[in-house]
Amino acid sequence: MIPLSNYLVVGAVLFGLSMAGIVLNRKNIIVLLMCVELMLLAVNTNFIAFSRYLGDTAGQVFVFFILTVAAAEAAIGLAILVVLFRNRRTINVEDLDELKG
Amino acid sequence: MSFEVPQFSPALPEMFVLAMACLVLVLDLFLNDRTRVVTYLLSQATLVGAAVLSLGQYGAGTAVTFSGMFVADDVGHVLKAFIYLTVFLAFLYSRDYLRVRELLRGEFFVLGLFAVLGMMVMISARNLLLVYLGLELLSLSLYALVAFNRDSSQASEAAMKYFVTGALASGMLLYGMSMLYGATGSLDLARVAESTAAGEGGLVFQFGLVFLVVGIGFKFGAVPFHMWVPDVYEGAPTPVTLFVGSAPKVAAFAMVIRLLAEGLGGLQPHWEGLLVVLVILSLAVGNVIAIAQTNLKRMLAYSTISHMGFLLLGVLSGTAMGYSAAMFYAVTYALTAAGGFGMIILLSRNGFEADRLEDFRGLGARSPWFAFIMLVLMFSMAGVPPTVGFYAKLAVLQAAVGADLVWLAVVAVVFSVIGAFYYLRVVRLMYFEPAQDAAPLEAGGDLRLVISANGLALLALGIFPGALFAVCNSAFGL
Amino acid sequence: MEQAIFYFFSAVLIFAAGMVITARNPVHAVLFLVLAFFTSAALWLLLEAEFLAIVLVLVYVGAVMVLFLFVVMMLDINLAPLREGFARYLPVGVLVLALVVLEMVLVVGPRLFGAEAVTVPARQAAEYSNTETLGELLYTVYVYPFEVASVILLVAIVAAIALTLRRRPGTLKQEVGRQVAANRGERVRLVRMAAERSKR
Repeated sequence: MIPLSNYLVVGAVLFGLSMAGIVLNRKNIIVLLMCVELMLLAVNTNFIAFSRYLGDTAGQVFVFFILTVAAAEAAIGLAILVVLFRNRRTINVEDLDELKG
Repeated sequence: MSFEVPQFSPALPEMFVLAMACLVLVLDLFLNDRTRVVTYLLSQATLVGAAVLSLGQYGAGTAVTFSGMFVADDVGHVLKAFIYLTVFLAFLYSRDYLRVRELLRGEFFVLGLFAVLGMMVMISARNLLLVYLGLELLSLSLYALVAFNRDSSQASEAAMKYFVTGALASGMLLYGMSMLYGATGSLDLARVAESTAAGEGGLVFQFGLVFLVVGIGFKFGAVPFHMWVPDVYEGAPTPVTLFVGSAPKVAAFAMVIRLLAEGLGGLQPHWEGLLVVLVILSLAVGNVIAIAQTNLKRMLAYSTISHMGFLLLGVLSGTAMGYSAAMFYAVTYALTAAGGFGMIILLSRNGFEADRLEDFRGLGARSPWFAFIMLVLMFSMAGVPPTVGFYAKLAVLQAAVGADLVWLAVVAVVFSVIGAFYYLRVVRLMYFEPAQDAAPLEAGGDLRLVISANGLALLALGIFPGALFAVCNSAFGL
Repeated sequence: MEQAIFYFFSAVLIFAAGMVITARNPVHAVLFLVLAFFTSAALWLLLEAEFLAIVLVLVYVGAVMVLFLFVVMMLDINLAPLREGFARYLPVGVLVLALVVLEMVLVVGPRLFGAEAVTVPARQAAEYSNTETLGELLYTVYVYPFEVASVILLVAIVAAIALTLRRRPGTLKQEVGRQVAANRGERVRLVRMAAERSKR
């Protein structure tokens, strides 16, 4: 039998990898967006594991909504990316220097 | 499975706003640039109607419906009413600006109304799920609004930065929520409150709490999670900056109250320490860096950061008095910010944004009346009596002292004195420097009238703060 | 057996996630992200969340990841500058990863959530339907968030269209209605001309 902690550790490692990815790929917006997707995957795994081990379906319902919102978020994020690319011809964060940041 | 059909009446304002937003969305398809005023009028009518519905429920006690996920209480009604008011001002100030620049499209108002709906959902949330969904509805609308002027590369850059930090913040918040769920086995904030009060969970709660506070810090724009604020404020079109900088602050306050005060009230000693760090850094960084700014929108962004520090100072004391003071601060700050960005819109014309400090030079000679309104706005932000900003700061400081945080109150006073410098610099530019730009103001009559009323209201609330204080106090049972 | 499946899929998942953040080519990164989603779906099946596992594959891999791929390929990104600074940030990145994971594992590790602390629940009976359970909840208890989620999707549609749809003036469009409605009289004109005569 697999204890709950195994799933939570997988979630924690995924979360850590996505954080490291954000630090590493500060230049590349599209990879940044993928890191955010990974982060949500970690959260979802957490919720589902808790839901199973606590015997409560609310966690699974939450994951259902996170998936919905993440899809909407990806659509808007990519739309903004396309607009940005049309205006600048680049998605390199370093070239995004009109604003001081 | 037995299921009782929920009571719909407490959610009447939400349903009204949703129905009207959909109506505006569809109707706008049939309008052209000449008749677009219908979209504008309908959006404003929506806000007025929602205000009537929300205030009609004021004083009717607390109603909980939709399986305990939705709560309608006095705190919520008052906060919603102020959100309608600030968004009403935002729409009114924006119309001419957008029309002159050929940006007046129905989507601006539709996305604005959906953002209002998101804020309402956040305010009425009594479940972690609804806090998240309301926040996302608000944020997604705001990302799109910031990128609304699609031919401006500055705006799309700002939107991208806003989006990435916002999505990151949501991820943090969700990880914290998953820990809360794991510790309590429920998404219901009332259940979470019971568990924390009983001292269950221990380490897991505190662990989740750290992620929650980081997420909240991002959404508030508190230091060290503030990187996006100046860029978004500067890059977005001024009406959108006005929108982002005013009403969502009230919603953010509601989120903190629902999550930290009501849900995790039992952990107050733990989150107090985390918030103290955010407060001190926000006050310091916001006030000091604002001095170096030459762009007014950017300066107001740093000013927002310091104001968020003050707001969190009210919350962290964990007393009803502190929450009430923070609520007073949130709603009056939203009105002040709306006026401040409204003044930038008032001075701007096509091809001239009026967003540099230089552009306010000599306003005292060009237009004494609007220079006076700007003076009131700046005094209110700086906290100079008799404007309302003074009483808001005073109430927060009193709450901090009441919670034995005298040293923190002293720090806050020191930094707001430093902050007064850059607000007063604007006043000096207006009255003691010669004008460079002699062009007359082009703003329409409605904008002139309402922005005057906005400024005078801040003065009036400063002279008679009692009524609003009483409302805030009674909302928290004082 | 269950253990072996868990460790296999976890290992693949973590490998795929690692490749997402280090891949040189964004297209490869997207493909590794797809792999990560697939393996997560397998883990979710182990957790008896069948409906969500299928949704993750169908909706997420099938729609969202394809959208990602589409945008990555459409934008035709110049890769070289995007890699600059990767090596410079690598030590910081590894440090962040190590610290974050270490702290998190200390909390969520076996001490608080191990087999002794949280008992492993029994398997659901054969006739249990995960989809049915979720469906019943979604349309009754969670009907309010369900409606809010639908509004979020509407906002996404409005925003994506408002941001990216451009009507170019002067583009030639095919109007099927007018094509169908065309009749012979509009298209063919019979002209009576005097026949040309060759000169003698």
